[in-house]
Amino acid sequence: MSSKRDTADALFEAPSAQQEFWHGMCDELPLMFGVIPFGLVFGVLGIESGLGPLQTILLSTILFGGASQVVFVQLWAAGIPALIVGSSVCVINIRHVLYSASMASHLGHLSLRWRLLLGYLLTDEAYAVSIKRFTNGHAGPLKHFHLLGSGALLWTGWQASTIIGVVVGNTIPESWSLSFAIPLTFIAVVAPIMRTRAEIATAVTAGSLATICQTLPWNSWLIIAASGGIAAGWLVHHVSNGKGCTE
Amino acid sequence: MIATGLFTFATRFCMLNKTVGKQLPTWLVEALSFVPIAVLTAIIVPAVLFDPASHKITITDNPRMLAALVAIATALITRQVIMTIGAGLATLWFLQWVA
Repeated sequence: MSSKRDTADALFEAPSAQQEFWHGMCDELPLMFGVIPFGLVFGVLGIESGLGPLQTILLSTILFGGASQVVFVQLWAAGIPALIVGSSVCVINIRHVLYSASMASHLGHLSLRWRLLLGYLLTDEAYAVSIKRFTNGHAGPLKHFHLLGSGALLWTGWQASTIIGVVVGNTIPESWSLSFAIPLTFIAVVAPIMRTRAEIATAVTAGSLATICQTLPWNSWLIIAASGGIAAGWLVHHVSNGKGCTE
Repeated sequence: MIATGLFTFATRFCMLNKTVGKQLPTWLVEALSFVPIAVLTAIIVPAVLFDPASHKITITDNPRMLAALVAIATALITRQVIMTIGAGLATLWFLQWVA
């Protein structure tokens, strides 16, 4: 019995770089069913909001973050000052600090060139599949190729679908209300992850503040609502934890 | 656009740097974990409630409200982005076509 396991251990070799890369791509593939339509919608929205075709595509390349790009074009189209647009986008993307932090122990030893590249490719979707691989024990010393694979597939799909969206964007009539796809996309993201009381408090506070503050100057509603929601969630989290905590 | 791109890249890259070998403070990690829900609901709710033509809050006679509810139900059941968008848009189109 034990000798059998020893042979199995001896036979197990760490996956090669190529194997890791393909593994990353295969793990990412199911998520592309959500990413490609999102990219199409974004391409269409970019054109609708008055950005040029090149600007829309560049936004996908430079920012490379679905939700933040949609917010960018939405605020841009409303003629919001660049500073407000910029800070709103930054608030949305600040979550990547968390991903980066949890990847640090897996990627920190790599060369600067690798870290720059993987940092650029570190999105919600690529993070989700690669961190799973990194923590389940199957990954070998070349596991960074897994993130490279998942990130590369995601990047290609996102850029291609944006370009297609930009091309067909002009031919879609406004009566289709395609811009409603934005809140729908976000519902798809938010609804399944709401579990705790703190998360519900966050959503209720952010939603109400956004509605109440809608007419405030410079479209500051987004930053006010987001900060209020985060504060509410944090408070509820601590109050409900404090009660049961014996420390 | 470039500035926001650089900032986003910085958030992704910063912790991969060896020199920043420190752990983030717990309160910051907790606060950051509420960011996606806060930002996204802040965008969802007004987009559903406000009438795009009149820019007024409309609750009754608002097809987007019903479409959003269908989308929430679909998201909870299927957990699929594409199904959620499809169900929401289909509901909206149907209601606009009936009206």
